[in-house]
Amino acid sequence: MGTKIFASVIPVLLGLLGAIIANIPVTVLGGWMPPPLLALMPIYFWCLVRPDLMSPAWTFAIGVLQDLMSGGPPGIWAASFVVMYAFLDRQRDTFAGLSGWGAVLGFATATLIVCTMAYTILAVYDWNLRPLSPFAMQFAVTAIFYIPAAFVLGFVHRRMVGPLRSDF
Amino acid sequence: MANGYWRNARKRGGTRLSLTIVTVMAIALILIGKTQTTLFNSARAGVSDWMAPFLRTVASPLDSSRRWIGSIGDIFSVYQENLRLKDERAKLMQWQSRARELEDRIKRYQLLLHAVPDPELGKLVVRVIGRANHPFQQTMILDAGKANGIKPGQAVVDARGMIGRIFLTGDRTAWVIPLTDLNSRVPVTIEPSETQAIMAGNNSRMPVLDALAHNAEIKPGDQVVSSGDGDILPAGLLIGIIVMHGKEYRVALFSDQSMAQDVEILNFKQAPEKPPQPTLADLPVTAAGLPPALPPPPPVVAPQNKSADTTGGAGVTKVKPANTGHVGNVGNVGEADDGIE
Repeated sequence: MGTKIFASVIPVLLGLLGAIIANIPVTVLGGWMPPPLLALMPIYFWCLVRPDLMSPAWTFAIGVLQDLMSGGPPGIWAASFVVMYAFLDRQRDTFAGLSGWGAVLGFATATLIVCTMAYTILAVYDWNLRPLSPFAMQFAVTAIFYIPAAFVLGFVHRRMVGPLRSDF
Repeated sequence: MANGYWRNARKRGGTRLSLTIVTVMAIALILIGKTQTTLFNSARAGVSDWMAPFLRTVASPLDSSRRWIGSIGDIFSVYQENLRLKDERAKLMQWQSRARELEDRIKRYQLLLHAVPDPELGKLVVRVIGRANHPFQQTMILDAGKANGIKPGQAVVDARGMIGRIFLTGDRTAWVIPLTDLNSRVPVTIEPSETQAIMAGNNSRMPVLDALAHNAEIKPGDQVVSSGDGDILPAGLLIGIIVMHGKEYRVALFSDQSMAQDVEILNFKQAPEKPPQPTLADLPVTAAGLPPALPPPPPVVAPQNKSADTTGGAGVTKVKPANTGHVGNVGNVGEADDGIE
């Protein structure tokens, strides 16, 4: 029973851990590259394969932690993650069927939605258009980091969370 | 089949409902964050305070490794760099002599004019324990906070120039918004033309100049310093020099925020410095090579029957010696002395 509960909270724990690791204010490369949105990867992955373990409420909570840790205006990442979740919820069958490079492209699409939403909300928030390059850079870094992350998430899903697919 | 359909439909309906709820919550969070920034900032400061011991531990080896990686390319240019530095040092020695001479001259002028001196700047040297580069915000985290008297708005400088300013303080940590950050806006003066502008960060290494007058006479190489407008930052803090970047003017910063390990925090809000007490060597006459003024001789009381001859009129009983024409006491500078009471 305990193992089952632990397995069911792993996706959320990985999302929260991703938000913390990505936003630890330590950089080896001198800060020329923004950190990837590590929190987004578990959300995307388990939103497709086990949405019962990654609910909208947990997505919102992970987004709030990302907001808190990243230092930006509050609510922007939370809202962006929720919008992406809503998009995936409608297009789940299409995205869940992708594999290989298609899966990476699917994640890149989700990341693009998140970054576009964050940029748009921030533009309205400040009533000022900001440079696109930091968001483009974060989009690129996040999409590239998903390639190794997908293997790790797949491994965790198969070995720890369980292969059962929900009814969605 | 039918049962499965209805179960899926019910779950989808539940998901849609929760999506609607969390969307409303996210919008509410954005609105609350816009109006109540203190709440979220306190939470952030609490998190950085909590992480401070970990950051202190990892900061040193990571800084060393970053410096090592960054210096690999320098190995191939050590000889040229050495020659350049020797040449620069010789020039700087000349400038140092010139600067001391000018400093003395300015001090004498200030004494003459009773100029209000620049405010005294309290300094606190602190260590950088964290750096972050997000699309919204670049940040440095310092190993000192409210407990050390640090307040939001204070300027942060390194040995070469200004790096940024404090925008958030926890008990033991403080967050710095660098000059290069998108949210950074600093009023600056461009010397020698004394042109005023706003220097705006754009997440690149060279901030841009906003609110620059169309007829501003600036050129590459001009120096940029803080203007002190708004009483937020002290005036005259070194920031950088003007460079051309494409068709626009940018500011090449003197400081290097990515390499700074220890920085100074300037406390601008201290009481203004009192004027120094002048010494004999500070007097303009002494500096000009003239002998200092002699003390005034005792007043001479003229005989009553000769008063009309000395003054040309009746009623004047006491005559003071005429003013010597130069200042005998700085405390009397500017006070008219007609020599007659």
